[in-house]
Amino acid sequence: MKSPVSRKGKLLHGLIGSVVLLLGWQLVSMAVSSAIVASPGATMAELGRLVAEGELWKQLLVTLRRLLVSLVLGAALGLSLGLLAGILPRVRAVLEPVRWVWMTLPAVVIAVLAMLWFGLGDRAVIFLVTAIVTPVIYVNTVEGVRVLDARLVEMGRVYGVPRGLMLTHVYLPGIGSPVIAALTLAAGTGVRGVVLGEVLGAQDGVGHSFARAMSYLDTPQVFAWVLVALALMALLEFAVLRPVRAWVLRWKRH
Amino acid sequence: MGEGVPVIEFQAVDKSFGELSVLRQLSFSVEAGQVVSFVGPSGSGKTTVLRLIAGLATPDGGRVLMEGRPRVAFVFQEPRLLPWVTARENIALVVRARGESKKAANREAEEWMERLDLQGFGHYYPAGLSGGMMQRVSLGRAFAHHPDILLMDEPLSGLDRELKSALLAQIKRLIREEGVTVAYVTHELPEALGLADRILVLERGGRARELDLVDRGALLLNWVASVMQQAVVD
Repeated sequence: MKSPVSRKGKLLHGLIGSVVLLLGWQLVSMAVSSAIVASPGATMAELGRLVAEGELWKQLLVTLRRLLVSLVLGAALGLSLGLLAGILPRVRAVLEPVRWVWMTLPAVVIAVLAMLWFGLGDRAVIFLVTAIVTPVIYVNTVEGVRVLDARLVEMGRVYGVPRGLMLTHVYLPGIGSPVIAALTLAAGTGVRGVVLGEVLGAQDGVGHSFARAMSYLDTPQVFAWVLVALALMALLEFAVLRPVRAWVLRWKRH
Repeated sequence: MGEGVPVIEFQAVDKSFGELSVLRQLSFSVEAGQVVSFVGPSGSGKTTVLRLIAGLATPDGGRVLMEGRPRVAFVFQEPRLLPWVTARENIALVVRARGESKKAANREAEEWMERLDLQGFGHYYPAGLSGGMMQRVSLGRAFAHHPDILLMDEPLSGLDRELKSALLAQIKRLIREEGVTVAYVTHELPEALGLADRILVLERGGRARELDLVDRGALLLNWVASVMQQAVVD
């Protein structure tokens, strides 16, 4: 058996990957016109300018707020529907076709519908992102309930544990792992969704700024906003997902 | 529930799983405060009897009668502790299920931890406890439910011999102190002999036979002989 990679080794390998990525980017930018691929240098310079002007923080906050609101809504909706469907097979059977349609609809179709119903702005973007995040959480919650140790549920039944306590002590902690995994997946999907939503249906935010830079053929700025979108995911991972994961799975640290 | 009143009564109970008939025309009754042990080979339906009493299974034929609506606690073969809450919270859960406040539940759970010699381990998660300690938490949980009827399904299996006898003594003491009616399943006769007022032997094919005093005396002698023999060999 291979020995597990140490923390330090992981960091080193990550660093090597990043350097390779950066080098590749530099090489491609040198090979093609700078109007098509901006060099890392030009992108960083543009990023610096956006930071200095305060534009970056402004747009980042707009997008982050939309993303967080959608993730919280999507998690709440997906979790409650998933728990209901997981515990009650009949609810699951009713929801199954809905889920199927929901998951199969392309994000861009939902985006167009959202614009049609809510116009341009916050509500359209939040609707879109919530709509694409919810089924991810839902499906994993249902699966989590399905694989939950039935013997623990039976124990609760024998001792007459009321519904509320069953939820907080058996079901919710029991599906912690799959739901956290789903949340990570949903965060990635959410970042893509929020940018798409803002490109199509908003007048501010990272996605909108990206689209505007593209319409001005300002390639360094286009690339700078791409980096911001990536940073958004990193921000979610470190500021939200990791603390949540550590708290939910605290009992596993033994 | 006074003495002499049957609190559990099986009337010609049939139970099968698919093709496999586990209990056939099983009849017996248990009176309040009795400690009845069910022994028999694996597959003789011992666990099924407990599950029928707990209402976790229903008979295919015959009737399972209970006096009033007794509170039933179940000590499963495996501890079945919630891995994500501490030992204390595992016990407190059933106290809260009775409608007590969180604070009162924690206090009572702590008392049970002490009665089971687990003081100082309340904040441990189950994964941090040994098998014997986990089973003691499971026992604490059962007693904290304040049961009228306590069902135990081979609670000592998987523990080593010294731990077994210590725990058996503890169980015996708690049963006496709480005055609870007990149905105790085991496939080890010494456990049954040491604990029970009555022993019902379930045989494959689903019938039950009660061991009388003569049987028990003979078995006890037999067991003592085997222990002495073992001691000589050791």
